[in-house]
Amino acid sequence: MPGIDECLLEAMRLPGARGAALVDWTSGLALGTVGESPGSDHETTAAEAAELARLAAEHGAFASAEDPDGERPPVEDLIVSNRDSYHLLRFVDTSFDSSVFLHLWLTRTEGNLALARIRLGEMAERLVLG
Amino acid sequence: MTVVDTPPPRLPVRGKPAATDGSWGGVSPMLTRLAAEHATGVLVRERGTLYLAEGRVAHAESPLTPGLDLLLTAHGTLEAEVWRDAVARADDRHGAAHLLLDGGHLTEGALELCHLGALYDAAYFALAPSSTPGRFRYGIAHRLGPVLPVPVADLERETLRRRELLRRIWPDARPDSAPLVRTYATAAPKLTPRQHTLLERIDGVRTAPDLARELGRQAFHTLVDVRRLAAAGLVAPRDAPGPADGGPTPTLTEQLAYTTDPHITLLKRLRDALEAL
Repeated sequence: MPGIDECLLEAMRLPGARGAALVDWTSGLALGTVGESPGSDHETTAAEAAELARLAAEHGAFASAEDPDGERPPVEDLIVSNRDSYHLLRFVDTSFDSSVFLHLWLTRTEGNLALARIRLGEMAERLVLG
Repeated sequence: MTVVDTPPPRLPVRGKPAATDGSWGGVSPMLTRLAAEHATGVLVRERGTLYLAEGRVAHAESPLTPGLDLLLTAHGTLEAEVWRDAVARADDRHGAAHLLLDGGHLTEGALELCHLGALYDAAYFALAPSSTPGRFRYGIAHRLGPVLPVPVADLERETLRRRELLRRIWPDARPDSAPLVRTYATAAPKLTPRQHTLLERIDGVRTAPDLARELGRQAFHTLVDVRRLAAAGLVAPRDAPGPADGGPTPTLTEQLAYTTDPHITLLKRLRDALEAL
């Protein structure tokens, strides 16, 4: 049963991982960070990633049709790619009320997006369910 | 009609402390001093309590926020009895958190996540400007035991950032603490399911912290939704008690205070926003 830090360290073992964070998207607070961050500033990255996560979570077009009452995160993950890296945001589904996601930053040359997406999903589940 | 749906403002980024020479004392100089001397004990302030362990904040509680127990039991993560039992059995060596983890009732990740959420939530209120000085008692620890202690400087900066976040959404702070009433906007934006649930419970009596407790949500998250609803013109603080049934006929001012005429409510929102600037 890993805690927040173990979960982030596990994410850092994925090929090409540069940095990882657990972020609350309502407030923009980073609850935990490891490794590097774009611009070397985890707090700014967390606030900007939270902005993106909130937009995706609050617009009906991206929501799953299975949970209309909004108790669970409507979106599973978000992928942003640029010329040198990937950003993967995975929403964490908790049984208590929360609004958090895992943010993983990967280098494009070494990162494996498909693998990272599956592993990050498993880590998000283990974090809260054990 | 043109529907103007302005997105909520960007999340603010925390200001960095000006220097690391210990001169940072933006929220509570007393707390800064206690952190510097690595104090252990409990700091009681007007709107909440902070538990320090060797200069770091181990727990925070406020009468205005749902506690960790309520957050964990409200949606069935934990049975209320399991929580009570763990707290009753807790001693100096094994805090209630340790017992819950050992008993397999919670994962470490879930506990840390919920605990940090509750800590930052309560600290936001505990560190609000107060009219009375705080009191510190040395040597007292929380029955929960250590989970993930937070450095005082991080907590203070986050609290200031949260104040700024709310101010950017809607500069008037009255909806944070006053009983809330529903108002009717001409061009209301589309609401999220969470905002809907909140809006349905607004009845002119309950305040934002009451609603947070009732829904088992963090109070600060509820304030974010309430201020966004206020900015959209769907919610307003109730200024005065409503006219009682069978009482004297309300005066024109009173009628205007409760009007649902969209033009008048729009003008009032403009006035309130201008006054709050």
